[in-house]
Amino acid sequence: MYRFRFHGRGGQGIKTASRIFGTAAFLEGFYAQDFPMYGPERRGAPVAAYVRVSREPIVNRGYITHPDVVLVGDETLLFDPVADPLRGFSGGVLFVNTMTSPQIDISGELVTLDVTGLALEYIGRTSAISAGVGAIACKIAGFSKGTTMEAVERELEELGLSEELIDKNLRLAEESYRNVPSFDLDSLPSVRESDYIDTNVVHVKLDEGYVGVATIAKLGNTAVRRTGSWRILKPVVDLNKCTGCKICFAYCPDVSIYLGEDDKAYIDYDHCKGCLICSSVCPFKAITMVREVKTL
Amino acid sequence: MKSRKGMMLTGNATAAWGARVCDVDYIAAYPITPQSEIVELLSKWVTSGEMKAKFVEYESEHSMLAGAGAASLAGARAFTATSSQGLAYAFENLFAVSGWRAPMVMVNVSRGIGMPMTLQVDNTDVFSARDTGWIQLHAETCQEILDFIILAYRLGEDRRVLLPVIVNMDGFFLSFTREPVYIPSMEEVSEFLPPYEPPHGIAFSSEELAYAPTIILGHSYSYFKYQMHLSALKAKEVFYEIAREFGDLFGRYYGPIEKYMMDDADYAIVSMNSFTSIIKGAVHRLREEGYKVGVLKINMFRPFPNEEVAEALKGVKGVAVFDLNLSPGAGGIIYPELLRALYHVDERPKVVLDFVGGLGGKELTYGEIRFMVRKVAEALRDGGVSPYATLLFTEEDTRKMIADMEIAGKKWGGFR
Amino acid sequence: MSKFRSVKDIPDDEYVAPGSSLCAGCGSEIIARHMLKVLGKDTIFVNVPGCYAISTLFPFTAVKVPFVFAVFGSGAAVAQGIKDGLDILKEKRGINNERVNYKVVVYVGDGAAYDIGFQSTSAAIHRNLDFYFVCYDNEAYGNTGFQLSGATPYASRTSTSEPLGGSVGNVYRKKDIFEIWRAHRAPYIATISVSHITDMLNKFEKAKQFKGPKLFVALSICPTGWGASEEETVRIARLAVETGMWPLKEAVYGEVKHTFIPRRLKPVEEYLKTQRRFRHLFHPVRREEDIKKIQEEVESYWKRVWETELSK
Ligand SMILES: Cc1ncc(C[n+]2csc(CCOP(=O)(O)OP(=O)(O)O)c2C)c(N)n1
Ligand code: SF4
Ligand code: SF4
Ligand code: SF4
Ligand SMILES: [Mg+2]
Repeated sequence: MYRFRFHGRGGQGIKTASRIFGTAAFLEGFYAQDFPMYGPERRGAPVAAYVRVSREPIVNRGYITHPDVVLVGDETLLFDPVADPLRGFSGGVLFVNTMTSPQIDISGELVTLDVTGLALEYIGRTSAISAGVGAIACKIAGFSKGTTMEAVERELEELGLSEELIDKNLRLAEESYRNVPSFDLDSLPSVRESDYIDTNVVHVKLDEGYVGVATIAKLGNTAVRRTGSWRILKPVVDLNKCTGCKICFAYCPDVSIYLGEDDKAYIDYDHCKGCLICSSVCPFKAITMVREVKTL
Repeated sequence: MKSRKGMMLTGNATAAWGARVCDVDYIAAYPITPQSEIVELLSKWVTSGEMKAKFVEYESEHSMLAGAGAASLAGARAFTATSSQGLAYAFENLFAVSGWRAPMVMVNVSRGIGMPMTLQVDNTDVFSARDTGWIQLHAETCQEILDFIILAYRLGEDRRVLLPVIVNMDGFFLSFTREPVYIPSMEEVSEFLPPYEPPHGIAFSSEELAYAPTIILGHSYSYFKYQMHLSALKAKEVFYEIAREFGDLFGRYYGPIEKYMMDDADYAIVSMNSFTSIIKGAVHRLREEGYKVGVLKINMFRPFPNEEVAEALKGVKGVAVFDLNLSPGAGGIIYPELLRALYHVDERPKVVLDFVGGLGGKELTYGEIRFMVRKVAEALRDGGVSPYATLLFTEEDTRKMIADMEIAGKKWGGFR
Repeated sequence: MSKFRSVKDIPDDEYVAPGSSLCAGCGSEIIARHMLKVLGKDTIFVNVPGCYAISTLFPFTAVKVPFVFAVFGSGAAVAQGIKDGLDILKEKRGINNERVNYKVVVYVGDGAAYDIGFQSTSAAIHRNLDFYFVCYDNEAYGNTGFQLSGATPYASRTSTSEPLGGSVGNVYRKKDIFEIWRAHRAPYIATISVSHITDMLNKFEKAKQFKGPKLFVALSICPTGWGASEEETVRIARLAVETGMWPLKEAVYGEVKHTFIPRRLKPVEEYLKTQRRFRHLFHPVRREEDIKKIQEEVESYWKRVWETELSK
């Protein structure tokens, strides 16, 4: 059995990518099972999806804790403690969607491609990477181009996309497929027979008082979460143009703008999600946007 | 022991007195038969100033329970009462209140849940709340209603427990039945029941808190849910402590179970709630007929007194479970609970049979009670134990049914 | 005289922290943030299932005041219990720490306000509960994937009113919750929009003087469900006001006054075109009748307003 784990951000189509791969595996004659994990979290928050592919019937389900192949749709997730895409990865293939060549210390094969750039080129939207990532998974698994394209088409039709948009996606998928290598998964050292992992069960005791009552005592502690990694575009304040009018501050949904002592607007890049409302409301056009250069 | 004041009171009036002597701060209400009298009385007392509390009639039980639980979470001692449809309507909030760990008390006046609609007793309503995280105490007599309410507040509010409690009484058979009840004064009760100051209450917690956040991941969900379970289990231990203290103060001692003529019993009938009195009465005659029968009454349904039940039935040859409830497709609801308690014990009774009776307030006759014991005796002798419940339904019931069916224009000539 | 004349007057204190997982550009965050700036730290925040519940996912919470999570339909009932509980602690048990004097605000979505929680809200208003009830109205059940609610406007696409097979999308009209609440004779009712921050702040401030229910319905732009670009949130909200689709008004003991009266209305399609949920009104063919229907309804509303309020 091959276990593929997909990581991305809500709104990037990671679930669709995993389904493209699941359908392609089915079309290739494998037993397949795909399963997205989505919490109530929203666009931009880390999401994951799991696909099991096997020549034998699959008698397992749920999360994949020890993947053979990991596909990361957004490079900023690589070292994100919540997403933790490298968890349980011990050799195999790691794909990262990136425009740089990251130096990652892993055992296993590293494959990269700037799918975001391709998506912008073929579809016009940076977030439309699902067909690309789905096709890359197919190529890594050694599926034929024919089944890959058919799977892309089927899944996108299911989503109700227009023919024109499907065509664009097919071109993105083709280009992505072409640009990554194939692997003989059976020869990878990571491919074990099963997911079964050994753990120790502890004795759970009563916590008296109200420790065991479901509450949070540190109010406002989301501040430790760095939603800044959600950004695809980044607002930048031109301090020469900023008059300190506070309008951007008023409209920022994520409390990520503050006025400095010089009465100029400053952005808290640890948290700014990159909605760009600030840029659109600034009456002095003092906030511009630049494509986020993601550093690992 | 304190002076006692006896009064002839209905179960409903007793429940109202229970809330009153516990110096309840907040009463959330909504009418439903056979419960309404409880909140009517409380409303009168609050309006006249005899009782110092806030009384609010809500627009539904769903809101009523949410409001009562929220008041309890805020730090006020809260009380409410409902029955059948009302309990079902409030169901979602049963989980909310126990999840907040708000130790309010609710009296349920047990009645079947429609359809078919009925006003009469069927404990399926309160048993359906079995898995909600509420402690459940079930009363056989009016006195027990009063005492259990006092015990309920002390138990739920204990910092080792912090869970809400349902005190159940049967509709009509207790709610509208008068019998002598001894009511302690508020001062006497206050010696037993300290003021309510929940450590996590909105008004009392040392830190400001976010209550009941949504939990996404399985490990935290498992932890908090299981803590609730462990607290519920702890409640049995705490109950022994406080029931002893209660007994020393008021002269009435309670346990999670009650044994009636069990010392030398070969047979036991397991029962709960008001019909237990009918069964206790029948036991004397059964003994005259040669059946050495005792009665095991379960007072505490959550946490379930597994060890006590097993211990009480040690040496008993055969058991009949009287289930005044029905889980269609399974049978009685007490039955499997009892089997869980017994399975792990070596000296468990050989035969345990399930009987469903009294449904919809149907009379429980001596003949039916004897039938249960005879069936157990037969099974002991001949084997052939079945996991399926038998409905206690008599020839007389059949005749009445034939007559009704005829009037209803339905062709039915009885069982063939 | 209004306390907040411009955004310069916005209080600095923040009672919402950054870092929550709501969508980038979500209107409900802007509203919650300013609401708490005015109501202040002595506020108990009651919330129910819906998108804003994402602010508080164990072990994190973005809300810096006490937060109580209730079931979907029970927001107002829980506010009642908390308020009554704190009151009785004061009155009967003589407890007078600062918490027993806290305000209670119920912050919920339109599904909770217009539909499943409508009964409990109506009853709390009826009982004259002294509380704030603020609905961030994103015009559908956002959290479950944007299904149709009683607040969904005519012709909107939702995931249960897809414009398929020639359908117009949602065939029902949006409930007029402002008028429904007004029929209860609540002391203070207001509509607000994320585009008009000072109007919003002043209304929260004004509400403070009334004892009893203080009710707000806020147009809450939902980029995800509406199919709009995140940066457009404020522009869309402003268009909703300027086209007359979202009137800004208040009612004091039932007496209505508009706080912004456009002299001329921008055509509704300027608003509709900003969102994919209305795209089928323009593509592949223009649905003239439906657009006209929306336009006419807006115009007849404003005609009445102009006649009554401008002539005063
Ligand atoms: C009784 C009940 N039914 C259904 C749900 C599922 N549910 C959770 S949130 C939600 C939608 C909430 O919609 P709304 O109130 O408009 O808030 P939004 O998500 O749009 O912010 C639904 C239907 C629930 N939690 N409880
Ligand atoms: S809106 Fe523009 S000018 Fe005003 S404070 Fe922000 S950046 Fe400066
Ligand atoms: S882009 Fe601007 S408005 Fe949006 S979160 Fe960042 S700072 Fe706030
Ligand atoms: S779906 Fe809409 S309302 Fe919900 S968090 Fe996203 S933008 Fe906000
Ligand atoms: Mg909504």
